[in-house]
Amino acid sequence: MSASNAQDPAAAILEAKELKKEFVSRRGRERVRAVDGLSFSLRRGEILGLVGESGCGKTTTGRLIMRLIEPSSGSIKVEGFGAVSLGRDEDFAYRRRVQMIFQDPYASMNPHFKIKDVLEEPLLIHRIGETRAQRMEMVSQVMEKVKMTPTSDYMDRHPHMLSGGQRQRVAIARTLILRPSVIVADEIVSMIDLSTRAEILHLMKTIQADMELSFVYITHDISTARYFTDRIAVMYLGRIVEIGSQDEVIDRPLHPYTKALIAAVCEPEAGRAGIMRELMVKGEIPSASDIPPGCRFHTRCLFATEECSSLPEPELEDIGGGHLHACRRWKEIAEAMNEKRKS
Amino acid sequence: MSETTKAETAPVLCVRDLKLRYFTSKGAVRAIDGVSFDLYPGETLGLVGESGCGKTTTGLALLGMPSPPGRIVAGSIAIDGTEIVGISDRSLRRDVRWSKISMVFQGAMNSLTPVYTIRKLMAETWREHASGGQGDAAVEALMLRYLHLVGLPEKVLDRYPHELSGGMKQRVVIAMALFLEPKVVVMDEPTTALDVIVQAQILNLLKKLKRELGLSYIFITHDLATEAEIADRIMVMYAGLIVELGTGEQIFGHSEPRGSLPGSSLRELPSEPRRTSLHPYTQKLLASTPRLHKRVSELAFIPGSPPDLLAPPPGCRFAPRCSFAKAKCVAEEPPAAEIGPGHLVACWKAREDPEYERQ
Amino acid sequence: MSVKDGLQDFKEFWKEFSKVKQGLVGLGLLLAFAFLGIFGPLIVPFPGASKHWRDIDYWQDNPQAAPPAWTNFFSARKGVSSSTLAAITAETEALEGGASIASFVFDYPFFYDQPPRDLILRVPGSGQVPLSVTLERPDGLRAELFREQVELSEGSDNRVSVARNCAQAAVEFVRGRDAQLADGMNADLIKPVDIFFAKLGPDILGSPVTLKGDYKIEIRALIVSPGFRVGKPSILVSGHVSGILGTDASKRDIFTGVVIGIRWALVIGILTSVISVVAGVLLGIIAAYFGGVADWLLSRLYELIYLLPVLPFLIVVSAIFKPSIWTLIVLICAFFWTGSFKTVYSMTLQIKEETFVEASRALGSGKWRIVFKHIGPILLPYSFASMALSIPAIIVYEASVSLLGLGDATIVSWGQILESALTQGAVINKLWWWVIPPGLMIALMGMSFAFLGTALDKILHPKLKTR
Repeated sequence: MSASNAQDPAAAILEAKELKKEFVSRRGRERVRAVDGLSFSLRRGEILGLVGESGCGKTTTGRLIMRLIEPSSGSIKVEGFGAVSLGRDEDFAYRRRVQMIFQDPYASMNPHFKIKDVLEEPLLIHRIGETRAQRMEMVSQVMEKVKMTPTSDYMDRHPHMLSGGQRQRVAIARTLILRPSVIVADEIVSMIDLSTRAEILHLMKTIQADMELSFVYITHDISTARYFTDRIAVMYLGRIVEIGSQDEVIDRPLHPYTKALIAAVCEPEAGRAGIMRELMVKGEIPSASDIPPGCRFHTRCLFATEECSSLPEPELEDIGGGHLHACRRWKEIAEAMNEKRKS
Repeated sequence: MSETTKAETAPVLCVRDLKLRYFTSKGAVRAIDGVSFDLYPGETLGLVGESGCGKTTTGLALLGMPSPPGRIVAGSIAIDGTEIVGISDRSLRRDVRWSKISMVFQGAMNSLTPVYTIRKLMAETWREHASGGQGDAAVEALMLRYLHLVGLPEKVLDRYPHELSGGMKQRVVIAMALFLEPKVVVMDEPTTALDVIVQAQILNLLKKLKRELGLSYIFITHDLATEAEIADRIMVMYAGLIVELGTGEQIFGHSEPRGSLPGSSLRELPSEPRRTSLHPYTQKLLASTPRLHKRVSELAFIPGSPPDLLAPPPGCRFAPRCSFAKAKCVAEEPPAAEIGPGHLVACWKAREDPEYERQ
Repeated sequence: MSVKDGLQDFKEFWKEFSKVKQGLVGLGLLLAFAFLGIFGPLIVPFPGASKHWRDIDYWQDNPQAAPPAWTNFFSARKGVSSSTLAAITAETEALEGGASIASFVFDYPFFYDQPPRDLILRVPGSGQVPLSVTLERPDGLRAELFREQVELSEGSDNRVSVARNCAQAAVEFVRGRDAQLADGMNADLIKPVDIFFAKLGPDILGSPVTLKGDYKIEIRALIVSPGFRVGKPSILVSGHVSGILGTDASKRDIFTGVVIGIRWALVIGILTSVISVVAGVLLGIIAAYFGGVADWLLSRLYELIYLLPVLPFLIVVSAIFKPSIWTLIVLICAFFWTGSFKTVYSMTLQIKEETFVEASRALGSGKWRIVFKHIGPILLPYSFASMALSIPAIIVYEASVSLLGLGDATIVSWGQILESALTQGAVINKLWWWVIPPGLMIALMGMSFAFLGTALDKILHPKLKTR
């Protein structure tokens, strides 16, 4: 197994190709295509945001990357090493490279463990550090990295004695202690207070720069994605419909779904209370067990034509500068909206 | 809401100096410590703050149902002229709850009993609160009417909660809060658990219902962006007190309402001179809210944590975490003072108190 | 983890544990039980009780169904307490021809309102020895209790019971004072001890009044040949009250029985509950967490055993196999593991879905690590509670089996004491000292385990600690 050249700064540290995951219900009656042909790559030191609404498959993608579940087809490679169907040792080695921070800062830690136990666990699993003193030293170091100081104050506490923000720091520390290359962050600030969110995101930015980590940042809140990510991939019903730098995707969205998402976001500005927000979708999200034919978004798209449902699903098209999207009619739609704005 | 109209119409909800304590084994926690505000007909009054500030407690108090061991110890709440502090639970249930004021509770959509159909759930809520003995047919017609109002099809009645999406469940909850035709609806984080697009849909729905049914809302949330979307006036709560109360304009500053179509060129918001007279906490909240259409290099955060409400500090409760705190702030608690038309702030700095300025 | 780490962990655990009063009480009780269990049999008044529990001869000196000695403190009509008399003189008088007379005098101050139940004399020695026993009463009268030649032998009991053997002597004693009364006496029906200790008078048969004062008993033995020997005799007064906890209908000292029973209670109770709960918990976790074949097998096994009625099964098996206590323990374990299995199974199903289990997996944790480090500790409080709660039931099962005659006849357990109490009419006869102690012990032992379990729960579930 050869690793792709880690010296090349543009080399992908994580690559997903045509990733698919299908869940079959017990009696085989329902086949839920949670992830339905996902491809993206993550460069070293980059933060990629995976944005979408519930049911779009972003959480499943996170679990696939973490090898908590196996894909139905497709491949994942981290630093050139394949991550599908690994043997015991390879799986072990993989886990030192890829780590995850979970959404619920309380549920992700065993309430009976003390903080020092929580942070020692990865070391024990991977047999790092020969004596407890050595391990505790590493635990101390990583706690300082996430600014939980003085460490002696926190080491012996249990998770429920910490605030949500503090617990999430511990969760971050837990991923760092193994010095991974890729971190998957699944909705890590959605259960934390507003004023602490920024603190956590700021801390992660600092650590990311300091340790040259690569992040897959999963969120439904596109505003935090703006603050934290370099690139954003927008997911709908198990596929990426648009991907590009965060400026491009947020300021110049091309896919109608992305446009609808962005149009729906509220901002802290005056004058909105009396005005209805114009939504650019109709209907409800279809079930992932019954994905619409052709372009899967066509059932909700305001601009869909007959072609959109009859022609095969559009692939991601690169319009330049790393901005890809999957909409056939993007030019016509952009023109139509320009007309509307002028009038 | 224009000011002339405000002067003419009487408020539909009047809260004066409300105080509520939680009587725990460790002592009395001063969860709400002197809160006053008015709600006018047809207005949405937002109540914003972080967890533990007392906003949910206030919402529950407005329905006369503080969660034990909480008890209202002082102050008055008058709904449509009727005082509810001190009256018996029976009278509350009979005359006030759901008929004058109702509530969409936090997480209500996930608390729908999973083994009952929507029809059964709605019928039960109706029977709980309605006084008359309406026949089944009349109740059914009523349920259909409200389902239609919230944009749900008839077949929803026969579904179970788990068969509905988040947005649909929330619409059911809203319908249930309305069908006794209250004047005031208190909503506690009604859109927090919903996806972005669904959230926008529900907010639109709420605006529409308010207009069509002549309702007034108290909208509780921790998210300033959501508040901006729906609230006419906003109260900011911290450690059991209201630290700021103002219109959307006053809190968020001048800016023309943005076109709601995305893709318009990035607009830098104009410099906001009015911002300096905001309460420092409100400023920090604003600065820590991530923005989609504005480039923010640093998101603010507030170090430290709110004070222990068993024994709050004698001065301003935000002083320990405030970057502008001076001696006066620590010594004396600032009362709410008017610094603009209808704009109240409880801060020595914001009201340019001379003693503060000198220090 | 090194020993040093383990020691430090234990120190931390102990620091936490000692803060919870309940746990200390429970632990204290258990330690007391353990101590008594180990050393008790050495200090009880009847050290051989364990071997001789069902040996009538061993207990023959005790009064039957006698309340504890301290009950005298509360009653107006005090019962005679059993005691051993002290010899005040012991002489040997040599006679011509190589013979000698050994004489011993015992002193007995007697001030009770009731006569003793019995006087039991024991004369160690060997050979054909004429013995005479004389009672000197406070009123000056002398009664010859016994005059016979007895066959003494080393190792045999050489026992004379006044109540049994001196009826005729009692008649003669009365005849000496009132011939007419003596004629009306039937040696088979009278109580000799009552007579010897009663004031002389016409009522002596019907309602005797005790004669209080100093009594002396003299034993004289004629040793005719140098091969014969008479050692120091002992006289035991068998009273109405006896011992710390009285005696049962078979004259067994209950205190001794209860103390010996501690050992067996600890062994049966702890061993069985620990084995069955540990087995049930482990199997429950394995079935629920690993799933698949293990789950299928174990669940079917559970269903099979769960359906079997325990007692009939135990009866059948006990009838076929030799009912030793160890067999019984194994059998009870085989049934009891199902109790914790099912609960642990459903708890594990829930726990394995927890995010922190997933997080541990994401770190690379193997399945066994999750079982022992994450799932196990959560189930510890339940396990201890389960152990505590099953102990009384186990003891009762053992007692029930004993009740049917299928128990292990070589052991003494509280269940057995209770069983004999119930079958020999302790409740009807109000022999409370027979019923309450064993029952109380069962309750105390269960309680100490329950306290221990609660304390451990508080420590292992930190949220429950009051701050």
